[in-house]
Amino acid sequence: MNKKLSQQIAFSIFRIFGILVVLILMSILGFIIYNGIQVVNWEFLSTYPEEGMTSGGIFPAIVGTFYLIIGSMLFAFPLGVMSAIYTNEYAGNGWVVNFIRMMTNNLASIPSIVFGLFGMSLFVTQLKFGDSILAGSLTLGLLALPLIIRTTEEALKAVPDTYRTGSLALGATKLQTIKRVVLPSALPNILTGLILSIGRVSGETAPILFTVAAYFLPQLPSSIFDQAMALPYHLYVLATSGTDIEAARPMAYGTAFVLIVIVLIMNLTASFLRRKLEKQ
Amino acid sequence: MDKPMIEAKDVNFYYGDFHALKNISMQIEANTVTAFIGPSGCGKSTFLRLFNRMNDLIDNTRMEGICSVDGKNIYDKKINIDELRKQVGMVFQKPNPFPKSIFENVAYGLRVNNIGDKKFIAHRVETSLKAAALWDEVKDKLHQSAFQLSGGQQQRLCIARTLAIEPSVILMDEPASALDPISTSKIEELVHDLKKQYTIVIVTHNMQQAARVSDKTGFFMLGELIEFSDTKKMFLNPDKVETQNYITGKFG
Repeated sequence: MNKKLSQQIAFSIFRIFGILVVLILMSILGFIIYNGIQVVNWEFLSTYPEEGMTSGGIFPAIVGTFYLIIGSMLFAFPLGVMSAIYTNEYAGNGWVVNFIRMMTNNLASIPSIVFGLFGMSLFVTQLKFGDSILAGSLTLGLLALPLIIRTTEEALKAVPDTYRTGSLALGATKLQTIKRVVLPSALPNILTGLILSIGRVSGETAPILFTVAAYFLPQLPSSIFDQAMALPYHLYVLATSGTDIEAARPMAYGTAFVLIVIVLIMNLTASFLRRKLEKQ
Repeated sequence: MDKPMIEAKDVNFYYGDFHALKNISMQIEANTVTAFIGPSGCGKSTFLRLFNRMNDLIDNTRMEGICSVDGKNIYDKKINIDELRKQVGMVFQKPNPFPKSIFENVAYGLRVNNIGDKKFIAHRVETSLKAAALWDEVKDKLHQSAFQLSGGQQQRLCIARTLAIEPSVILMDEPASALDPISTSKIEELVHDLKKQYTIVIVTHNMQQAARVSDKTGFFMLGELIEFSDTKKMFLNPDKVETQNYITGKFG
């Protein structure tokens, strides 16, 4: 076979598979959007579930998911960024750092249901937080921690060393160098990591299953020690354990649609923010 | 000779097992320009970086002997390294401005030293840029990114940045090797002017440059200081045959 022909055949195969992947993604998205958009309206977004969840809306689940996002990030973002600063800027290259890195990577590959179990035994039972937004946020925060640490480390590594030496040579301390030169130039990538982990956190079901999620609540949570409804768990409930699953199906699609839109918005914000900060 | 500005006595330096500097002693007078020349890997940059303790940033290194600046032993345990680096400024091989405005680049050294007086900062930024012969080119765009400047301008900005904290010594590590000939000659003129106020030590691969800008020249080879004398003598009538061979281009 001549070279040109074999190259053309290879490229055609690559192209077909590339298009196939896109088609699969598009059909999933299209399926959810087509089924979801029929029930999503202002009433769906702003009211409580009614009649055994076969009608009404998902307002408390949206609110609960937002609380959990905020709670988990308040915990995980500072912790993750600071530990990444430690490993990348301060700790050098000894075995301690390598060990921390290895553990971080291991943490990232633990199935999320294990986080749920751990969160239940530590936060809910041992620390007596009960099924609560606090326990759920901490559990989700633990889940997001490795992602935040890793993206922050990558962001810090991407800052050229010449910035650091230049700053130190002017009599700046290491802390000043990190604060004034390293972090500002790493910020776009750090924020991208934050937003991606928000996307991750908002979609997780397993970690909140035993730590915070409620089947149904007639009112919004009033403190961090209350239970909350959340979108992914609500979707799970609608699809598996309602009073009338068939009748609740449109509600489930609507919930999935809202969840996907939230994650999509987060990802778009991330890339928009990065582009804007990089321009400066 | 008066009390030397920079002094090294029996200095040895190791990267791990590699013996990079061997028994080097040298005295450098204030308000002179001293050039270090020698083939790549001869230790001249390593020796330069001893004087603002930049080698501290490299893992697994060891230094023996005495280095002093302005009569103070800078490897004394009590020395404040940040203070030392204010007194001994450095200009690097590749221009390395911060991703900030031109103004903020020059003001950086003042800000990290807790100077907040706006008028003072603005004044010092202007005088530093003037001293670095950059003011006329940037005075209308002080608040634009430093990355918009050409390589040669960026290097002069880095010099201005160093001047702003008023060091007494300026170390230059091949400051013109990444620049075009016109920018290079500007940097050389600048070095000549700055000598009135500062003690300058410059590492260079370019022998004509060493001959043009320096009062004294040190020739390094394989970690040893082969010869250190007046630049004129060094280039016209060196004592050592190694120096003669290097300068005339027989190797290197």
